[in-house]
Amino acid sequence: MSKIKSISEAIDVIKPGMTVATGGWIFNAQPMALVREIVRKEIKHLTLIPAPGSIAPDMLIGAGAVKTTGCIFISFEQFGLAPNFRKAAETGSIGILEMDGPAIAGGLRAGACDLPYGLIPDMCTDLPDVNPEYYQPVQSAPGERRMLKVPAIKPDVVLLHAQQADELGNVQYRAPVFFDILMAQAARHVIVSVDRIVSHETVRKSHALTRLPSAFVDAVVEAPFGAHPTVSAGFYDLDEKHIADYVKASADASAFDEYLSSYVRKCAGPAEYHKKIGSPAFLDA
Amino acid sequence: MSTDLHCTTSELLSVLLARDLCDGEKAIVGTNSDVQVAACNLARNMHAPTLWWVSGPGGMVNADDGVIRPTADHRNLACCEAVMDLPQMIDFIDWEIHFFDFAILGALQIDRFGNINTVCVGPHSKPKLRGPGTVGIAALTALSKRFYVVMPKHHRGAFVERVDFLNGPGHLDGGTTRTDRGLPAGGPKLVVSNLGVFDFEPSTKRMRIISLHPGVTVDQVQANTGFEMLVEGAPPVTMAPTAEEMQILRQKVDSTGVLRSAA
Repeated sequence: MSKIKSISEAIDVIKPGMTVATGGWIFNAQPMALVREIVRKEIKHLTLIPAPGSIAPDMLIGAGAVKTTGCIFISFEQFGLAPNFRKAAETGSIGILEMDGPAIAGGLRAGACDLPYGLIPDMCTDLPDVNPEYYQPVQSAPGERRMLKVPAIKPDVVLLHAQQADELGNVQYRAPVFFDILMAQAARHVIVSVDRIVSHETVRKSHALTRLPSAFVDAVVEAPFGAHPTVSAGFYDLDEKHIADYVKASADASAFDEYLSSYVRKCAGPAEYHKKIGSPAFLDA
Repeated sequence: MSTDLHCTTSELLSVLLARDLCDGEKAIVGTNSDVQVAACNLARNMHAPTLWWVSGPGGMVNADDGVIRPTADHRNLACCEAVMDLPQMIDFIDWEIHFFDFAILGALQIDRFGNINTVCVGPHSKPKLRGPGTVGIAALTALSKRFYVVMPKHHRGAFVERVDFLNGPGHLDGGTTRTDRGLPAGGPKLVVSNLGVFDFEPSTKRMRIISLHPGVTVDQVQANTGFEMLVEGAPPVTMAPTAEEMQILRQKVDSTGVLRSAA
């Protein structure tokens, strides 16, 4: 049975109040087509658990879709701090669950293995002070290493972007998978956008690329340039000008609204967005 | 300072760090880390040919084709010798104490005991400045054998008495508090800034001046530091990059001049 869905149908499973995870890493494979659909549908009050990210969490926060976000790392790297995340944090308009790499990895592993919590070493940081629910003390005997327990993370939905998939939902990566696989194992519902759909035969011939087999995948959405303006490895590089324009627009509420209007609300879906950015071709298709 | 040395601050800091890295060591390099990559690859091209480094975010090992780019950049796939999965790397960072010999990190703030902050300036609930977050920093500062901190702009807001948010443990409250609280020994080894090179006095663990860059005075460092910096005698002048270091850096490590066009 085909797992290919329209973007609207795929995103319809997301309801206000749900916990939504996003995959990729900083400027790699941010699931932007799926994020843009959430903004178009005006879904609100989400709890966000982003893998270390950039514009995916930042746009959702800027568009008012997020009530609380986990923050492992949200950065625009050489373009500075994440503008909308920063504003929301500094004005206190969203809740922030401060976390680090070990906590999200431990929590996702516990989620994937159906364990109540994971264990991580106590690194003597201030994180437990601001996020006591996620960093809980564990009794240790004298001389024993001090540990913290981190509750299992089981997102209702995870949004991922990869390079290609077949209609059965075998998802292929030409790039590092970051936390994507772990997130897919921990999440209850997995939505993946891909730059292109390929035949099942192609997948069989290149099965080493299939990092996310169909049994882990609930919906595949065809979205050429679905990670744009971030990178989809081998298919397109970072659109630095677009990122710079986004950062500039984010400095001002009406400019940001105009950005969302022209790149999100006025584009009915991935095909229209692709056209809007000038119908670029893949680097290496 | 930079004009006297005929190099940019980024180039100087890369050279200073490279000198301290040893052959055969294992390192992890994070995001937004041009200076870190340059330091590792410069060391590999000079005295440490088997220094082994992995991109924390991308998993590529020993990416080295003469161009400095973000460590997770997929173009590093074409010039690396292995690719590790992120959860696999997290195992090495978090659970295997001292797998990594060193990490090199940046920060919003560093304090007199070498604790670092990349989360926020001001209170966490209402920050004056919201930073990017912690990612692997807590584990790397706690569990690698040593770490370095790169602070390209030395000012009182960055060198503070106590970090507003401690997410990278250095020597905690100084003295033996780091090991008393169960962390392995190690911690911050050097801090490099645009003014000088700093380490931590072995018993109190307070930050002290090792050397000052050409033209920089102790008073100037003190005026730009939010705590009392330890000074022992008259600190020497930082040894300027040699012609050989600069040649290898610019020709073999950073052939496109990323560090030259930076500050």
